[in-house]
Parts: sequence; C-alpha cells; structure tokens
Amino acid sequence: MTTVRDIVPGPETTARGSRGSPEPARASEPRKGRGRSAALFAVLGAALVIATVVAAGRGQLTIVPAEVVGSIAHRVDTGLEWLLARAGLAVDIPLDIGRLPAHPQGENTLWLVRFPRVVLAIIVGAALAVAGALMQGVFGNPLAEPAIVGVSPGAAVGASLVFVTGASFLGEWTVPAAAFGTALFATLLVYALSRSGGRTEVVTLILTGVAVTAVAFAIVSFATFIASPDAREQIVFWQLGSLNGARWTAVSAAFPLIAAGLITAIGVTGPLDLLALGDRSARHLGVNVERLRIVVIVTVALLVGAGVAFAGVIGFVGLVVPHLIRMIVGPGHRVLVPASALGGAVLLVTADLVARTAIAYADLPIGMLTALVGGPFFFWLLRRTRTRAGGWA
Amino acid sequence: MSVGLRRGTGLPEPVDVGDVIAAIRDAEVSLGGARVLQRVSLEIRAGEVLALVGPNGAGKSTLLSVLTADVMAGAGDVELYGRPVASWSPVAAAMRRAVLLQQVTVSFPFTVAEVVAMGRAPWTNTARERDDGEAIAEAMRLADVERFATRRFHTLSGGERARTALARVLAQRTQLILLDEPTAALDVRHQELVLGLARERAAAGDAVVLVLHDLNSAAGFADRVAVLSGGRLVADGPPSSVFTADLLSDVYQHGIEVLTHPRTATPIVLPVRV
Repeated sequence: MTTVRDIVPGPETTARGSRGSPEPARASEPRKGRGRSAALFAVLGAALVIATVVAAGRGQLTIVPAEVVGSIAHRVDTGLEWLLARAGLAVDIPLDIGRLPAHPQGENTLWLVRFPRVVLAIIVGAALAVAGALMQGVFGNPLAEPAIVGVSPGAAVGASLVFVTGASFLGEWTVPAAAFGTALFATLLVYALSRSGGRTEVVTLILTGVAVTAVAFAIVSFATFIASPDAREQIVFWQLGSLNGARWTAVSAAFPLIAAGLITAIGVTGPLDLLALGDRSARHLGVNVERLRIVVIVTVALLVGAGVAFAGVIGFVGLVVPHLIRMIVGPGHRVLVPASALGGAVLLVTADLVARTAIAYADLPIGMLTALVGGPFFFWLLRRTRTRAGGWA
Repeated sequence: MSVGLRRGTGLPEPVDVGDVIAAIRDAEVSLGGARVLQRVSLEIRAGEVLALVGPNGAGKSTLLSVLTADVMAGAGDVELYGRPVASWSPVAAAMRRAVLLQQVTVSFPFTVAEVVAMGRAPWTNTARERDDGEAIAEAMRLADVERFATRRFHTLSGGERARTALARVLAQRTQLILLDEPTAALDVRHQELVLGLARERAAAGDAVVLVLHDLNSAAGFADRVAVLSGGRLVADGPPSSVFTADLLSDVYQHGIEVLTHPRTATPIVLPVRV
C-alpha cells in the first residue's frame, strides 16, 4: 500500500516556510491549530479511559473504578510475566498492586460480560464515526451518512438473511461477511446507477441511495416476516441496535475488519482534503478521484458491515461525531479521521452505559438512544447547512 | 493501493522559452449533440501569455477542459509536454499544469491558508516538497490574501475567494498555468494585480493561458490572443493585429471600434454606443 502521507503540507511546513517573511497572523495560527488538535486528542483519550472504567464498573453488580483498574493491572501483570517467562525471563513486574473486585463474581462479571461489551462499543463506535467522516469527505457533503447512500440498509439485508436462514458457513464471521457483501453490493449498485460519463453527481447518488435503502428495508421486512419467532425477535432487537450479549468471540471477529478499515481510512486523508475543492480541482491536483471513491466506498462498506453485524443498526454516530470534531479543529481529514474514531468510541461506550443502566434491569436499544439525540441534531444541521455557504452543493 | 498521488513519475523537465508546452491539433468536441469545438488547433509556448477571448458559448472553457483532459476530444490530438494529455497520470499532470476553474467551491470550512497549501499536493514525497512553505507564502503574498489567511474560505467575498483560488494555483508552481476568467470577480486593482502576475510568470519562462472577457485586458497583457467564435478558432496572433474593428464586430455581433492608445500603442476596444 502506498502511503499517502502529508498530502497537504502540515503546520510544520507552513511555519518553517514563513520564517523569512513577516507574517505574524500565519506564523502563530498553525501552531495554535496544532495545539488544539493535540488538546482534542488528549481530552478524547482521557474521556475514553474514564468512560471505559466507569462503564465497566456500572451495572447490576457495581464495581468501583479502583477495582476495575486494579483488575486490569493484575491481568496486564500476569500477561507480561507470562510473555517474559516464555522468553526465559523470570521477572516480577510490580503491577499486581491494585485492589481486585471485592465481590466473588466481580472478576467474572468484568472479564466475561462487561469488558467484551465495552471493547465492542469502542471498536464499533470508532468504525461508525470514521465511516461517516469518510462518506462526508467523498461526497463533499456534511449530511452524507452511510445510511443515506444505502450502506447500512444494505448491511442489514445480509445480516437479517443470515439470521433467518440460520446459516453459519463462516462461524463468527458469517454475519459480518454477509453484511459486508450486501453493503458493498448496495453501495456499488448505487455508485453504478448514479454514475454518468465517468463521473458521479452527488445529488443523483444520494437519491439513488434513498431508493436502494427502500428496497433494502423491504427485504429486511420480508426476512422479519418469514422468520421463526426466535429469529424474528433477534432481527427486531438487532435492528434497534444493541451490544447486549457481546462476547470476546465477537470482538475478535470484528477487530481485524475494523482495524483494516481504520488503517485504510487514515491512508486516504490527504486526497480527501483535496476532494473538498470538487472533483475537477482535486484531479487537477493529482488525485485519482474515481479510484479514491472506490477505495473509500469499500472501506465504508467494511466498517459499516462489521459494525452492523455485531451491534445492529446504530444510526447518527457517523453524523454527529465528525461534525462536532470539525467544529473544534476544522475539516482537515488528517485530524478528523483519527479524532472521529476516538470520539465515536467515547460516544458509543457512553451511550451503551446509559442504555443498560438508565432503567434498572432493562437493556434499552442503543440505536434508539443515538436516534433520539441524532435526529434533532440532523435537523439542526440541515437548517444550519442550508443557510450557510459551503453547504451541500 | 494508491489513490492518485503515485510516485516514480519523475519531476518535469523545464520547457525552454519559445518551445511548445501544450498543443491542440484539429480538436473536435461535441457535448450533448452540440459541436462545441470544431477543428481547433492551438499551440501554447513557454514564456508567453495567451488570452482566449470570444463571445459566451464560443468554446473557451471547453478548450481549457480539453487541455486538462477533463473533456476528451472526439477527434484530433491534445498534447502536454509532448505526450498525449490523457497518458499522464493525475499526479504527473498536476506537476506540469495548474488550473483555475471559473467556479471555485470548497465544500468544508477550510481556512484560506489550508486551501492555498492544497496547491502543493502534487509535490508531496518529491524533492520539491521542501519548497512547500516558501511556495505557499509567496503565492499568498502575490495574490494578496495574507490579510485573511486564517479566515474560513466560505466566509470570504467573491473576489477574495477568487484570489485564494489563484494563490492555490500559484503555489502549485507549474510551468503551464490555465486560468479561466481569473479577473471576473475582482476590483480594478486586483484585476491589474492578477494580470500583472500572469505577465511576470510568463517573463520567468512559464506559459499562461487566460480566458478573458475584457478585451482591453487581453490587449494590454497578452502576447497572443486566440479568438474563438461558435467553436472555431477565427484568429490567433498578437493583439495589435488580431483586434480589428471588422473581426471583433463580426465575432461579437455588435459594432466595435478599435482605437490605439496614444502612449502605449496598445489597441483600445470599445463597443459602439449611439
């Protein structure tokens, strides 16, 4: 893979270049922007750590944060010592100092129930937010979300068909594979139908996406209709989005898919910036626009397919997170994409915490929560974008 | 996987002043059934400012699109640096020519400095990457956009946007520069500034192609004028010989007088007003 690094010269270059010329405004601004990005990453990182520790501790069995941290430290300690022992070194790493959960079921609750769920929320949240940022970049439209171009509905088709038929040809990977397959098919279909003369009109593409979404949901409805009562319940809850019952097997199946998607996403951030100038100008600056679109579309299908397969349909993460990040540090994708990954993780861990603790002994659908917040946000964004230039043209 | 910024294409060799940097031979273009260009031939040489003039719909922008391979000529040849224009990879072409389009939009709220910096994209991972800072600073100074370098592009006025886009094109530092109506949104001072820049670049050995509506600007700043009318090239030569009352009146279908400036001897083009 050719890395496409630093397509847009970073703040360093600008600052260095302006050395000889008297430009006070520019010399200080990039530094300010870089400081802002660093602060954002620090805040998001801290928020993710806190959200993880708190979320892992809350539930029917409460485990205080000190015990959560202590339990993690003990596992890390054991793991490191085991690794060193394999390397022939018997070293005692002094990490097993923290307090372990006092409750007899504490360790099991943490490691068999809570952590897989929290980790799944982290990676799915990152996947959905980055998928949104990529979509918006490639269509130059802050309102573009995977759902709008038919990726999420497409993924839902594959996953629901697997639920109905009970197929398991790929084990844990069956649902994500089917979801990715149909998501990609739906997206390529939209892409092919909305292309003319080697180019893709944004409006046509989104409207075609709407049509594909309608058909996709018709198929999901049909699958729900013919499903056995058990599978039907599974489809319904999964359509509402939920991380209920997450296991390490799901995490280990989702992780490589999402990691591959995120790495690719970070590789295309430079060309995505140039795409903001429009297809023609981006091409005049050396971007292979059509190929970039295909890479991005496949990546989005991969991220959304994995997310939908393991956590159901969770909307608006890809809309809200990138938008907030853009408001803080600007639209440059080199910061936007990784920051969206962190932000999406924080959002989904928090939303899942609320979903399972807001009402005692009830596990609310997480998709319901994100839509409750995201719907009004979408509306606000719609109004705001319409009144401002640089909108959805 | 590469999404366009492929390496290994090599840096462009400079074209000597007076040599052909881009050429169109017998180009034909039809768009939606209309023949937009008919057997147009034009050579662009290093070191000259070439103005494309003509009435609305004469094919000026299409001619630029043919030069940038955005539109493929149905017949005829289009060459950039001696090779068919379509044979260059996007990034190799971007090292050789910069393009300012008539419509300039930026779909996310990038700052002016960030937009100008985008002009350096083709040089990423090449030896010329180290010029980035200097090229950006110089382009911003030349286009007079330093004052609002930190403002978001979408908050700018039309003229400020046009100059920002021009700065991006200048920062690209290619030997062939194609500008589609660069002065349309500008006040008199900035019009003169931009046209003066075109002259300076040509004096430094670059080839500058300008699409212009103001015939006096063309007369005052272009070495050569190509007059398009109805998709055909009807005249090609220095302004003093091309800008005649008969030819312009015929092309624009409006009476036009041509006087001579008493001091500079450049043609002054005036529509006949009763």
